[in-house]
Amino acid sequence: MGGGFRVLHLVRPFLSFLPEVQTADRKVPFREKVIYTVISLFIFLVCSQLPLYGIHSTTGADPFYWMRVILASNRGTVMELGITPIVTSGLVMQLLAGSKIIEVDNNVREDRALLNGAQKLLGILIAVGEAVAYVLSGMYGSVGQLGVGNAILIILQLCFAGIIVICLDELLQKGYGLGSGISLFIATNICENIIWKAFSPTTINSGRGAEFEGAVIALFHLLITRTDKVRALREAFYRQNLPNVTNLLATVLIFLIVIYFQGFRVVLPVRSKNARGQQGSYPIKLFYTSNMPIILQSALVSNLYFISQLLHRKYSGNFFVDLLGKWKESEYGGGQSVPVGGIAYYITAPSSLADMAANPFHALFYLVFMLSACALFSKTWIEVSGSSARDVAKQLKEQQMVMPGHRESNLQKELNRYIPTAAAFGGICIGALTVLADFMGAIGSGTGILLAVTIIYQYFETFEKERASELGFFGF
Amino acid sequence: MARGASQSQSTASHATTRPGVMAPRGTAAATAGMRRRRLGGGTSSASVSGGSGAGGSNMLRFYTDDAPGLKISPTVVLVMSLCFIGFVTALHVFGKLYRYRSSGATV
Repeated sequence: MGGGFRVLHLVRPFLSFLPEVQTADRKVPFREKVIYTVISLFIFLVCSQLPLYGIHSTTGADPFYWMRVILASNRGTVMELGITPIVTSGLVMQLLAGSKIIEVDNNVREDRALLNGAQKLLGILIAVGEAVAYVLSGMYGSVGQLGVGNAILIILQLCFAGIIVICLDELLQKGYGLGSGISLFIATNICENIIWKAFSPTTINSGRGAEFEGAVIALFHLLITRTDKVRALREAFYRQNLPNVTNLLATVLIFLIVIYFQGFRVVLPVRSKNARGQQGSYPIKLFYTSNMPIILQSALVSNLYFISQLLHRKYSGNFFVDLLGKWKESEYGGGQSVPVGGIAYYITAPSSLADMAANPFHALFYLVFMLSACALFSKTWIEVSGSSARDVAKQLKEQQMVMPGHRESNLQKELNRYIPTAAAFGGICIGALTVLADFMGAIGSGTGILLAVTIIYQYFETFEKERASELGFFGF
Repeated sequence: MARGASQSQSTASHATTRPGVMAPRGTAAATAGMRRRRLGGGTSSASVSGGSGAGGSNMLRFYTDDAPGLKISPTVVLVMSLCFIGFVTALHVFGKLYRYRSSGATV
């Protein structure tokens, strides 16, 4: 205990420097919450389009190409880091707390404060580290070309943007906004991506002349301009190099499946010990940990990619570096690298069914990795976030709630039957849906779509609840 | 991480999740929660709101407590962000002017 506390106490001297959004001391009206949320989103979107000053070029290999959408980052802009610092720091703190390297008692207020401070501090440090790594690795042109002044300017811009994202997320979570900033930014980025791929008016010159990038626009364009309607239709549905209508339909299908699964739950009846006849319920949803497994899995994979590419560029040929991942230029994207060997390759979704047939071990490994990682993160998260059976039982006890037909001492045991199963199985279902979406070629990626649907669903729930509260439906 | 008190409220009483709510207000909210549950008991909406509460409480939450630190209000966060955007934009404008002037001088 002493050792653990000392580790956490290392954070204490830094707390006074960390920006801290003050907690709302009153209930913020719903309209005000919407305004804060919209302004935060606006700031995020502007930063996503605002180019970095001082960069020489962005033609270098992009290690985050595959994870851009999920990590809400845009190449060459102020929001290059996106939410990576904050999600990565959350991932690290979860692993440390879950594995008891850091001893944290969620019931002690000081421990929670120190943990929050540690998380924020780590997020800022990661932002600094990644900014420096980006510049030194030649992402924006070699340091010689940039000059020292520009290099420092770029690093400062990225660091400050990282801090802004952290503050915006905290602002929304402290009661001034709806939901969490991370979820909001991810969902917006993914929806933007999907809409663009469906309705983009951009034309791209391929071997067959100019083609529209957007799947829907291309469909109508082909039907109007081609004399052979059947071939035009087939082209619109199955073209390979650009988004096609099949991709769009697959995306819609995944949306519907996820919404369907959102409704799965086990409702446990609870009753107050004091007020006779007062009845309530405590639902345990299939997606008990919501989108957390997929976010953490994405953060893990993207960091692995980053490290692997960095090492490969400098030490290619080394046995351990090659074991981690081998990379080469992509045929389609300009300057993009794709993993072709090592662990990085096996945890990447197969690009097509043909690719699966060519290397069945790759497909199998990817499937097992996705399901295992999601289930593991899901199970671990309930412990860290204070929603495990023990925590829930304690909360219900404090509220003087009992389950009818069960002794008070059996409450935790009863919850233990449902919560770990819901967490693990929910994680597996999320992993399976992600894999299914990837194989069907849904727009964006399976991970991205799953995140977007889950987050949007939660916003609908939150919106409904807030509106009900505001209108006095529950007797305010 | 969610604080015990606010977690209890959001899950058991289906009240709106208000992270970081202080103890006295927590007590008031708990009382309000009790009243709400009595009304809700007569209809099937209790389950629906319960679902919302449970779902919401599991959303990613890093900042739910008052930690000692540099206190800033939400308005300051927004203003700071907008100033940063303006600053980078100004950098671009001055950068272009600088290049234009230097290239003009060269010619």
